[in-house]
Amino acid sequence: MQENNKKQILLVGNPNVGKSTVFNALSNKKQKTGNYAGVTVSSHSGNYSYKNEEVEIVDLPGSYSIYPSSEDEAIFSKFLIDGQKDYSGVVYILEALSIKRGLLLFQQIQDLGIPMILVLNQIDQAERRGIHIDIEKLSKALNIKVIQTNAKEQIGIEAIKEAVFSNDFVTSEKPSFDIPAEHKNLLDKNAENDYQAWINVTLEKNSDSASKNIVPKRLQVKETVRRYQNVDKILADVITKKAQFKELLTEKLDKVLVHKFWGYIVFMFILLIIFQCVYFLAEYPMNWIDEAFAWLSQFAGEHLPEGPINSLVSQGIVPGLGGIIIFAPQIGILLYFLYLLEDSGYMARVVFLMDRLLRPFGLNGKSIVPLVSGTACAIPAVISTRNIENLKERLLTILVTPFMTCSARLPVYSIIIGLIISDKTIFGIQYKALVLLGMYLLGFFVALLSAAILKNFIKEDNKTYLVMDLPTYKKPLFGYDFKLVLGKVWDFITGAGKIIFIVSIIIWVLSYFGPKQNPDEMVATDVHLDHSYLAKMGKAIEPAIAPLGYDWKMGVGILTSFVAREVFVGTMSTLYSLDDDAPEGKVIDKMRHDVKPNGEKVFNFATGVSVLLFYAFAMQCVSTLAVVYRETKSWKWTGFQVVMMTGLAYFVSLIAYQILK
Amino acid sequence: MKDIQLHTLSSFPKNKIGKIVDYDNDNLNMPTKIIEMGLLPETLFKILYQAPFNGPLYVEFGDEKSRIALRKEEGDFIIVEDLINAGK
Repeated sequence: MQENNKKQILLVGNPNVGKSTVFNALSNKKQKTGNYAGVTVSSHSGNYSYKNEEVEIVDLPGSYSIYPSSEDEAIFSKFLIDGQKDYSGVVYILEALSIKRGLLLFQQIQDLGIPMILVLNQIDQAERRGIHIDIEKLSKALNIKVIQTNAKEQIGIEAIKEAVFSNDFVTSEKPSFDIPAEHKNLLDKNAENDYQAWINVTLEKNSDSASKNIVPKRLQVKETVRRYQNVDKILADVITKKAQFKELLTEKLDKVLVHKFWGYIVFMFILLIIFQCVYFLAEYPMNWIDEAFAWLSQFAGEHLPEGPINSLVSQGIVPGLGGIIIFAPQIGILLYFLYLLEDSGYMARVVFLMDRLLRPFGLNGKSIVPLVSGTACAIPAVISTRNIENLKERLLTILVTPFMTCSARLPVYSIIIGLIISDKTIFGIQYKALVLLGMYLLGFFVALLSAAILKNFIKEDNKTYLVMDLPTYKKPLFGYDFKLVLGKVWDFITGAGKIIFIVSIIIWVLSYFGPKQNPDEMVATDVHLDHSYLAKMGKAIEPAIAPLGYDWKMGVGILTSFVAREVFVGTMSTLYSLDDDAPEGKVIDKMRHDVKPNGEKVFNFATGVSVLLFYAFAMQCVSTLAVVYRETKSWKWTGFQVVMMTGLAYFVSLIAYQILK
Repeated sequence: MKDIQLHTLSSFPKNKIGKIVDYDNDNLNMPTKIIEMGLLPETLFKILYQAPFNGPLYVEFGDEKSRIALRKEEGDFIIVEDLINAGK
């Protein structure tokens, strides 16, 4: 029987060396490329076929050393040291400009006895710096096949495929690091090779190392320093420096972008532009989508046979789905900007600028990345905390990130802001945009404030530190990022769409049927909304939410929102389409004109503010909770997060409504 | 300042070339990452920027002019010397 001869290769390298770009160029699978440390938080895989050979590429998180200092790097080390070695070899990516740093990890992996190919990326940048690298000599000195690439221009990608095809992986015979003679006695004779045995000592895997009066960390330092000395010797032969030296774009840009004053202004300005675009550029496609669904609903209503099916489709499913798809443009624009910023190398500068400002709150400069990503979605944001080395700072970041205004809140905010804020402008900026910006800032400040309080309740003995590479600026991959965004938006629509599809059917059922009104029927069908089961449920929780200014419809909205926040809008669309009393027109107009039995408007200013605050603070996303549990491995902290956030939401909304009404 | 030859990186003046000579790491509190990133003895460096309120340092170092951000607390572990004293 013929075995499936799929070849597996690992892609390894330091962060920011263009590893993800090489991965993308090799495979056509969608995958994120990032420019700040640790954006590839877990291993991804992709495929390609070359000369009838199927190859699977596994992209490991970037790391500087085999000795991990964060969760990302721990995943990486574990994979290489303890993982099943059923791959053909490692393709190691080296950036020409940081060749010295890259060779440290390269030689560690080589010494583990893993077969490798070396890829030297972006050699043109080094040349511009006046650094010439002799490829022949490098290849000889390291005893390895070296391939030159410029991954962004697709140069050298075929050569990698060819090398993988012809199995040019080389396993080094002679280790580049000689275990210090005085420590040879520590090594376990049964290990695969000496370096493997050494790593078992330096990573404290041998339980008896303590008894032998050994400080593993001191050995790690010793190894690193010796390896660098060795690398220096090799490079002295390989590199020739020319007098010519050009200032790179990075140096020019950083004069402004990390400036004490202008750096922050630029950052604020970039955020403002993003929010302007999210609100206004998105308005056109949103109107088209709204009209399309209104037409579809009407079309279904007129052409489907009269009866429950007609009602289910035209007033349940179609408006429910429309209510969520309409927000795809806003989410897409926001994500696109975030990807471009990440991709360009700018995010690391933001970490530099924000570190000192975030520290009083118990956070790390690196927390800014999850916090900003949290404005798109808390799920990837929580995962991106893995490169925060200090456990306390990481836990704090995880706990407060869901306060950031994620894109699922955007639909709710948009509709409520549309209802309660006028169309006036100030200095050409709409009030609505300012209020939206205010909501984003509110989320941010509450995140910081709660971190400042919570930091007093979390214990941690390890010291916090920030030692971070500032990569060169790179032109973002506009087209590629756009494709990524389309993929993400599609995931959002299908992911949320599934839930909303089901929820809108349930809501329709609960609102189409009601408690029986005469003794001979099982249930009443096609009831007036006020007499439906749904109204009954909403009215049951009304006493709890009335002090917040909500009527039973909003109660239903909040109940269904605990699946995911954006469901609120779908629920509202369904509820208001079902309500025959409401005048014809767009859902937002129906909501605007809805009145309470006493003639008061349902969505007045006080209620609107109360809803905004509730959605700003409450923990209403099941998917985020699942990820928080996975990352913290603690039910205690996950549960704490739910109670803290939702409790705060109830309390703040209550106070706001009582003051404003 | 001028007559003291050895500083820590944190107390080194901005925009001046210095050389790393050693670490102050007897208690092993220094993050290993400092060494891993290539801030090694004999490496030349220049502090280009500092974030406000005594924030992190933006250091350019080595032949490749790599850039790194580190806090003052981390800079305290690194002992450096003035290159002018060492003879430019």
